[in-house]
Amino acid sequence: MLKLLTYLISQGIATAKELFPPLDEACIGMPRLTSGPCLGDSCDACARVCPTDAITVQGNGERTTVTLDRGACIACGLCIETCPTGTIAGDLSTDVARRRRQDLVLSAGSAPGTEPSAASPAPGVEPIATGHATAIFRKSLALRVVSTGCSACDLEIGAAGNPIFDMERFGVSVVASPRAADALVVTGPAGKGMQSALLSCYEAMSEPRLVIAAGTCSISGGIHKGGYAEANGVDALLPVEVYIPGCPPHPWSIIHGIMLAMDPNKPDVEP
Amino acid sequence: MKVKRLEMAVPRRLPALRSWLEQKERRLGLISSIDGEQLITLVLDPRAAAAELWESPLEADQYPSLTPAIPQCHWFERAVFDLFGLYADGHPRLKGVLLHEEYDPQFQPLRTGARPPGIVSTAQRRHEFLRVEGEGVYELPVGPIHAGIIEPGHFRLSCLGEVILNLEIRLGYLHRGVEKRMTQVPWGKGRFVAEAASSDTAVANALAHAIAIEALLGIEVPARAQFLRSLALEVERIAMHIIDIGGMAVDIGFLGIASSLARMRGSALRLADLLAGSRFMRGFICPGGVKRDPGANLAKIHQSVRQLNFAVEKIVSMFLDSPGAQERLEGVGRVSPSLAREFGLVGVAARGCGIAYDTRAHFEHGTFPRYAPPVVTESAGDALSRIRVRVAELFNSMSFVYNLSDAVPDGPVLTELPENLPPDSTGLGIVEAYRGELIHLAFTDAAGRIKRYVIKDPSFNNWTGLSIAVRNNLVADFPICNKSFSLSYSGHDL
Repeated sequence: MLKLLTYLISQGIATAKELFPPLDEACIGMPRLTSGPCLGDSCDACARVCPTDAITVQGNGERTTVTLDRGACIACGLCIETCPTGTIAGDLSTDVARRRRQDLVLSAGSAPGTEPSAASPAPGVEPIATGHATAIFRKSLALRVVSTGCSACDLEIGAAGNPIFDMERFGVSVVASPRAADALVVTGPAGKGMQSALLSCYEAMSEPRLVIAAGTCSISGGIHKGGYAEANGVDALLPVEVYIPGCPPHPWSIIHGIMLAMDPNKPDVEP
Repeated sequence: MKVKRLEMAVPRRLPALRSWLEQKERRLGLISSIDGEQLITLVLDPRAAAAELWESPLEADQYPSLTPAIPQCHWFERAVFDLFGLYADGHPRLKGVLLHEEYDPQFQPLRTGARPPGIVSTAQRRHEFLRVEGEGVYELPVGPIHAGIIEPGHFRLSCLGEVILNLEIRLGYLHRGVEKRMTQVPWGKGRFVAEAASSDTAVANALAHAIAIEALLGIEVPARAQFLRSLALEVERIAMHIIDIGGMAVDIGFLGIASSLARMRGSALRLADLLAGSRFMRGFICPGGVKRDPGANLAKIHQSVRQLNFAVEKIVSMFLDSPGAQERLEGVGRVSPSLAREFGLVGVAARGCGIAYDTRAHFEHGTFPRYAPPVVTESAGDALSRIRVRVAELFNSMSFVYNLSDAVPDGPVLTELPENLPPDSTGLGIVEAYRGELIHLAFTDAAGRIKRYVIKDPSFNNWTGLSIAVRNNLVADFPICNKSFSLSYSGHDL
């Protein structure tokens, strides 16, 4: 015991001080759109390689529009590797969670004057849509995590609670019962086998209550979308407060999403 | 790898399988069907690194069950019942294992053959738990949603006082139709579906898929890619074994150990970042090789894994040398070697009972079996044995990564792939995932499309092992037994 205590003290503090730092340069990250001139539908290479049909390319020549749905993206990196014009590039940022589903859809065009749209409206321009008008969860949020998927997101939520990321310092705790929970965090695509258990869990929570969709599968079904198991994500089943894209999302992204759920006045991305 | 296909009439299956399993170290790989018109039985001969696929054409929806004679068949026959509506006559407890009441009884997702759907009734789809009766016996239901951050499954414990008499495990909550999806997507995108089957095993799944596809195509993979594949597989094993050892520390109250190991998992994932560009190494391994060359990062991996080794050594010795931990784990959840053999346990669970089966020592994947870490076994078959096997494997994997990262040959990492798969072929991939033997088996049709894709996760064998292990243990020891097996729900339910 004494040996362990000495060891732990000798290790110092592991917790990261800087919040939402960019990923290491060795990483691929999620795709983003740049102002690089897209060739239009004469080159739809990105859309063809995408395993989840998250990309569409319309028009050619002067006017082209590329849309990229991060809510369907599994971050395989193929589009980044394939794009000949650099219109799609890697994004190492970790503050990728959004409150509105449509804000996960990025678009860029080659028409004069169009810049790649930010994933979120600029702060102050548009009121932020929130399911809960109250700021009751600003100081603390108790999470009930329900897994309906492949466990990668669960491991990353677990990692968000480890000494490096330490989400408990923001007042976030994981509880073992829906009765004690403020927010339901759903991972995985919520196929037929899990739907009734998931809904019972939600019903057992007292109001006000929130739902956080963690990971691409829970947002849209991801790679499982459209199959016979009806694993199309939690959006079809419950009202979602915050969407955290990624396959799996980085622990920083998970903490980012949880912090958006806690404070209705926090902008999606810090200016 | 190549697989020998043989035709085997239904009545011949039992004697053939029986005599196959009588020979030392030969194993049953999996039982399934292609389209409901036949049964397929994959049998393995690890010593000869060989596999045979027996095809048994069916004329009816019933066949004689092998379970009474060969217990390992029981789970396979239940899955075949769910997915194809084929009825194993004489199976002692035939019921669904993947599909729940939510699915129409007539729905048999993988049945595509000419005969009309089979005989499943609504009553058969409803799950009846085994009832243990007697004075004072009570049932303790747990799940599907568990207290921690973990995948879903239901445990029905029948107890007398504090002692567990029987555990029935109901799974299937995570069934997402992965095997069907593999036949619907273009084969080039199949690897993403395979990885998502169970993402804590993403590398192993991607590797087994790549080997199966390469066997179909008959192509060779460059030596450098083989080394990188082995590195990726072992880095995954390091990260996941650290989690499992840390999870055990949580369950028996060694929280300081657990939080230190959680930090070290971060360092293991840093190796993954350096090697493959993401923490779970998704999309790294593909048919034909690997997607990217880590280049100079290999030197960093070589250095970091050494530091990680020192750090883990220190903390793990404090854990396992502690009398508190040893006493808590010793004798808990014991599985006898004979039952482990009968039920075909694999991976850490098998090696913890002295069964020296590690596919890295037999079947070609990555640099294995040529360069492979030694096989670790323990003999007691209890939770302590399983954790000891895991710890020894963790150190073996770290020194393997240390040595191999310094010796990766130069050259390309990817070969060109033909556009189409050959028609009417079979490809097999066997990989030692961190939980044990993982099998992918792919069949193509006359047009070269994938018509059936079978994934046999190691947990498919081992869930029964957990049921055996908890018998006559205390209710309070159930979490420890469960953790010591560390099984996958998503890999099982696919």
